[in-house]
Order: sequence, then C-alpha cells, then structure tokens
Amino acid sequence: MVRWQNMKKTMKKLIESVIVFAGVIAILMSCNGNADTVKNTGPQRDTVIIKLMAFNPDTLSVNVGDTIVWINQDIVAHDISHFPDRAWHSDTLNPKDVFVKVIDDSSSYFCSIHPTMRGLVTLKK
Amino acid sequence: MKKVMGLTAALGVVMFIMAGCNSGSEKEEAKTETATTTEATAPEQAAPALNDAQIASIAVTANQIDVDYGKIALEKSQNPEIRKFAETMIKDHSDIINQATALATKLNVTPEDNSTTQDLLKGQKDMNEKFAGLTGDAFDKAYAQNEAAYHDAVVNAVKTVLIPNTQNAELKSLIESVVPLLDHHLQMAKDLAAKFQ
Repeated sequence: MVRWQNMKKTMKKLIESVIVFAGVIAILMSCNGNADTVKNTGPQRDTVIIKLMAFNPDTLSVNVGDTIVWINQDIVAHDISHFPDRAWHSDTLNPKDVFVKVIDDSSSYFCSIHPTMRGLVTLKK
Repeated sequence: MKKVMGLTAALGVVMFIMAGCNSGSEKEEAKTETATTTEATAPEQAAPALNDAQIASIAVTANQIDVDYGKIALEKSQNPEIRKFAETMIKDHSDIINQATALATKLNVTPEDNSTTQDLLKGQKDMNEKFAGLTGDAFDKAYAQNEAAYHDAVVNAVKTVLIPNTQNAELKSLIESVVPLLDHHLQMAKDLAAKFQ
C-alpha cells in the first residue's frame, strides 16, 4: 500500500514536470515568434556598392523609412543625385566615402559626374 | 613570334588611330584603312616588347595628356558642357595617375620612357598646336571630337596592348579596373561631340 502511494506521488511529480517543461517551451517559442515579427516590421538597411562605374545592385525595393547606404569602392569620385533634377543629392563621394539616406519616396538616381550611371529605388507595395 | 606580330599590329593600329585624331572628320576612314595597311606591314616593323615599367610610363602619360587637354579646355572654353566634361576628365585621370604612381612606388617600379610614350607626347604636341589656333565654337568642337577619338584609341590600346602584356598582377588589376571608366568617358565624349556636328 505504501509502495503504491509512493509510486503515485512519483507519477504525479513526473506529470507536473512534463506540464511545466511544455509550458516553458511554449513560452519560449512564443517569444521567438514575437522577435521575428518585430524584426520584420522595423526599418531595414540596404547597401549599394559603387564599383567599376556601376551601382550594385542598381535597383532596390524598400519600405518608406528604410535606409540605403551607398559605398564608393570605385577608383574615382562619384555622387548620388536624384534623376534628372538633382532635387536631392550627396556631396562628391571620393573612393571609400559613404552616403546614407532614409527613403521617403521612390526615386530614380544617377551619378551627375558620370551621367550614364543610373539606379532606381522603388517602394514595396 | 605570332604574339609579337600581333602586339606590333595592335600598337600600329593604336598609333595610327591617335595620329588620325588630328585629322578631324576624316579619322573614321583613316582608322579603317590603317587597320588593314598596318596588319599587312606589321611583320617588317620593329616589335616593341613592353615591360611593366614601360607600361606604367604609357599609362601615366596617357592619363596626364588628357588632364592637360582638360586644362586647355578650361582656359579656352566658356561652354558649360565642355567645362563640366573637362573638369571630370581632370579629376578622373588625376585620380588614376595618383593610384598608378602609388602602385608603382609600392612595387618599386620606375616608369620607363619608351617609343609609345614618345608617340603619345608627339600627338599631344600636334594637338596643342591645333588647339592654339582655335577659339569659341571651333575650339569646343575640336576638343570634343579629339576627346572621343583619343578615348577610343586609349581604350583600344589598354584592351589590346597594355592588359595582355602586363606581368604584375596588381598592375594588371589596376589597368583592368580602369576600362569601365574609359568606356564611360568614351561614351560621354561621343555624346558631347554629337552636339557640335
């Protein structure tokens, strides 16, 4: 009889442990899910490399509020200018210089020093 | 021997094209005719085997010549498009000279004068004399046309002579990285020249 009661207690503890463990796992999974959601909805940062007289990539699709970083890895100076009127533009970017812009609208852009260099920023729907 | 003959023919074409730069609107005809003539006579010409020191000299000289042309344009032209183009040429080619010089120093290579460098300088002297006698639109037109022809010749020389003959990997890489810029300059020069037809 005593042995049966001890066995019953052990089983009860085991079941409780399993329930607690399952609860912890559920909470952790829930936390991970939230983290992913937050990461996907915040502003993103994209990079455009300027090299061999081209923007790489030459087309980016972003959300309003995202940031684009242009890095001049070419052998000569360039700039980043709204096409065609230079409504916004960077300073002259010498080799290794960087230009950062928060995107508020879609835009075509070009290098006003080397006008056949073109790029495009579109907004995600 | 075959390689040497090919190099000679390519250099001959390049030099003739550069000489053709001085003849204005006739240059396209000259370019075509010369390619055939030079190839036919190439085996009898001296074969200029270029080493890296000579290639460095050619690269620096070719870039410096276009910087000098740009400075003449800024002195003589009031045309905003000509001036903007000239400023870009001065800046870009000065940047290339600085990088080529820095690399030559790093590699302990002293640019070595050679017949191609001398031919380039002779072409520059002739063009400077032509520019000296021109003003206004006549100068702008001559400058734009020469820039198109000069870059055409330089692009050809870089692709067919300098890159294939450069031995040092870093020097070859630098010269190769300049090709897209030269191609771009050529297109810009052609667009500019088209406005002065």
